[in-house]
Amino acid sequence: MEGVLEDFITAARAAGVRISISETLDAVRAAATVGYGDRALLKDALAVSLAKTAAEKRLLEDCFDRFFSFHFFDAARRGTDRDGEAPPRVEAESPLVRMLLEEDRAGLIAAMTEAARQENLSQIRYLTQRNLFAFRLLSRMGAEDLDRQLRGMGALDTPGAVATAAALEAAKRYLVENVRNYVQSSYELYAGDEGLRHLEGELRLVKLSNIEQRYFARIHEIIRRMVKRLNDLHSRRRKRARRGVLDFKRTLRENIACQGLLFAPSWKKKKIERPQFVVICDISRSVLRTVRFLLLFLYGLNEEIARIRTFVFCSNLVEVSAILDSYPVDEALSRIQGGADIPLIMGRTDYDRSFGDFRRNHLDAVTRKTTVLILGDARNNYNDPRPDHLKAIHDRAKRLIWLNPEVPAFWGAGDSELRRYSPYCSVIRECNTLDHIERLIHALIRS
Amino acid sequence: MKAKIRERLASVPALEAGFRDVAYIVDRRIATTVYLAHHLEKPILVEGPAGVGKTELAKATAEYLELPLIRLQCYEGLDEAKALYEWKYGKQLLYTQLLKDKLDDIISRKNGFQSAMEKLHQYDDIFFSWPFLEPRPLLKALQEKDGAVLLIDEVDKSDEEFEAFLLEILSDFQVSVPEIGTIRAATKPLVFLTSNNTRELSEALKRRCLHLFISFPEPALEREIVLRRVPGISERLTRQIVKFIQDVRELELKKVPSISETIDWARVLTILHAEVLAPALVRDTLNTFIKFEDDIAVVAEKIHQLTATAIRQ
Repeated sequence: MEGVLEDFITAARAAGVRISISETLDAVRAAATVGYGDRALLKDALAVSLAKTAAEKRLLEDCFDRFFSFHFFDAARRGTDRDGEAPPRVEAESPLVRMLLEEDRAGLIAAMTEAARQENLSQIRYLTQRNLFAFRLLSRMGAEDLDRQLRGMGALDTPGAVATAAALEAAKRYLVENVRNYVQSSYELYAGDEGLRHLEGELRLVKLSNIEQRYFARIHEIIRRMVKRLNDLHSRRRKRARRGVLDFKRTLRENIACQGLLFAPSWKKKKIERPQFVVICDISRSVLRTVRFLLLFLYGLNEEIARIRTFVFCSNLVEVSAILDSYPVDEALSRIQGGADIPLIMGRTDYDRSFGDFRRNHLDAVTRKTTVLILGDARNNYNDPRPDHLKAIHDRAKRLIWLNPEVPAFWGAGDSELRRYSPYCSVIRECNTLDHIERLIHALIRS
Repeated sequence: MKAKIRERLASVPALEAGFRDVAYIVDRRIATTVYLAHHLEKPILVEGPAGVGKTELAKATAEYLELPLIRLQCYEGLDEAKALYEWKYGKQLLYTQLLKDKLDDIISRKNGFQSAMEKLHQYDDIFFSWPFLEPRPLLKALQEKDGAVLLIDEVDKSDEEFEAFLLEILSDFQVSVPEIGTIRAATKPLVFLTSNNTRELSEALKRRCLHLFISFPEPALEREIVLRRVPGISERLTRQIVKFIQDVRELELKKVPSISETIDWARVLTILHAEVLAPALVRDTLNTFIKFEDDIAVVAEKIHQLTATAIRQ
């Protein structure tokens, strides 16, 4: 039975349940404990030992139902058998032919699953492999004997032989059809979203502006995982900073009350300042996608890790921190674009006016602890870029990082004013894939 | 003692019946999980919405198996000293003071510094021995001779470090105290970890546990729970209460009422000697199972309709 369980776990993995080797061992022990006699009990036991979230449980149960269902060879060949007369007696020349003619369902299923095991059907991964596997299964089951007998019948001309040949022909169709179905359902079980998994690695490197809408859910999932890793990493570092070395002077002072006996030591603590970000995003259409993913990232970070204020601009600049704090990023962005209660003008991108707005109204948001992130392509529609506004921001900030969704070759070409702005940026980075964003944020919260 | 426990955990139906005896109604999956946890010697990680009886499960198990329940409530900043063991510093200090004369004797009779030191070395382990060790819940659970039920409550509230520290105990059921050595469990305790999912637990921890997700129960099960938990309540009222609560769960609320709240409400209604639900009665007692102002407003709006469907039960 362990072989079956192994195949089931392969199928469950393909369905998207993450199963480790130790969990596999648990499942084997659990199945051995409860036995295979009671289907519901086995299902519960496997669900408890393999799936570790509510969503995974649903996947696993669904997979269990599909995996342990045998609806093959059941629709007995009604069409051919209803001819009224008894089926012609045929001399069976091989076990397969005998089972087919006697409609030995259990025997057929056993033969088929045995053939599947020998041919490693659980290794099926691609759509194109289906026919090959069906053929291999058929030959394992001895379909050649069936063919040989059919050919032998074809040579004879007696009415009995013709009827036999027809019966055998029907039996063969029945067999092939069932094996095909079996291979197809195995493909669905084992291959699952194998293709999508390859996709995941690529999605991290694909340009954000080119990602299709239908992959968004998947991207969110990737981002969620990245953010979790960053959060874990950072909180651990924070804890380490909390444990300090002995503060001898303070220990002496505090223990004077105990006649100078050093009872309660006190420790030197290092204060870690949480990074402060001011994010200024261009939300004209050319940049919007990147903005969306960057914000997803930033707002996924724990509140203790970073304090963020966000401003968006197009023709003018508006603070949107409140909206982003109270809604999930996606909804917040559509609210912002829909112009919900904010005086944002979605006309031509105007960098000089927007930076001017910031300098006039929000410059106090920037202190010498603040990192300013500007996300935009610096395409100012041939207006005067007014770099002095940016200089004013730069002079107050700890550093100013410009993220450009365009590839470096285009920086400064056409109406891009990045060259004029670059003296006032600490760093200018290309930012158009998930990988870029991740690396950037990693660097940001480390410092 | 052990034989009795083994007998009580002999099969899944036996467990189900046993839980029923201690007034904790389980569905088959929960019973299966506890059964497996005992036989595979694995901890159970229980997740689910607040108030579905996660903590109660551990208590009921302890009661059914007649084992001591040792509870460790997790919170941020919980560390080894509070979870595992601590030296009784006060006692150590006191003893050194009390034994001062003795120590003087031992040391001063000898002339050389070297020999005094040597003499002291023969005694220094005295102060780091069992009498000076304060066992905390985890160590206590390992020390119980006949086994115990260890409940690590709300493990998601603790820090990641503590979670990592738990791994050693959960997989090997042993801990090491540097001064004394490794302490192995006399009998492996049955461990329950509960989580409300305020943060995601690490893969490593999940891998070591059986995972049980308790969700809101089916109407029939919930009726049974109420009947069992609230003595003297009528079948008809129970039916109505459960139908009402189940319908309320379908509404869009900040916090849907859970089983514990159903039970609270049923208790309140029996105290008020209610026979059937009525809109006015429901409105007056709404705050026993709905805890947010906004939610109360949502439910109050539909009170007539909800009561009407519940009464038709």
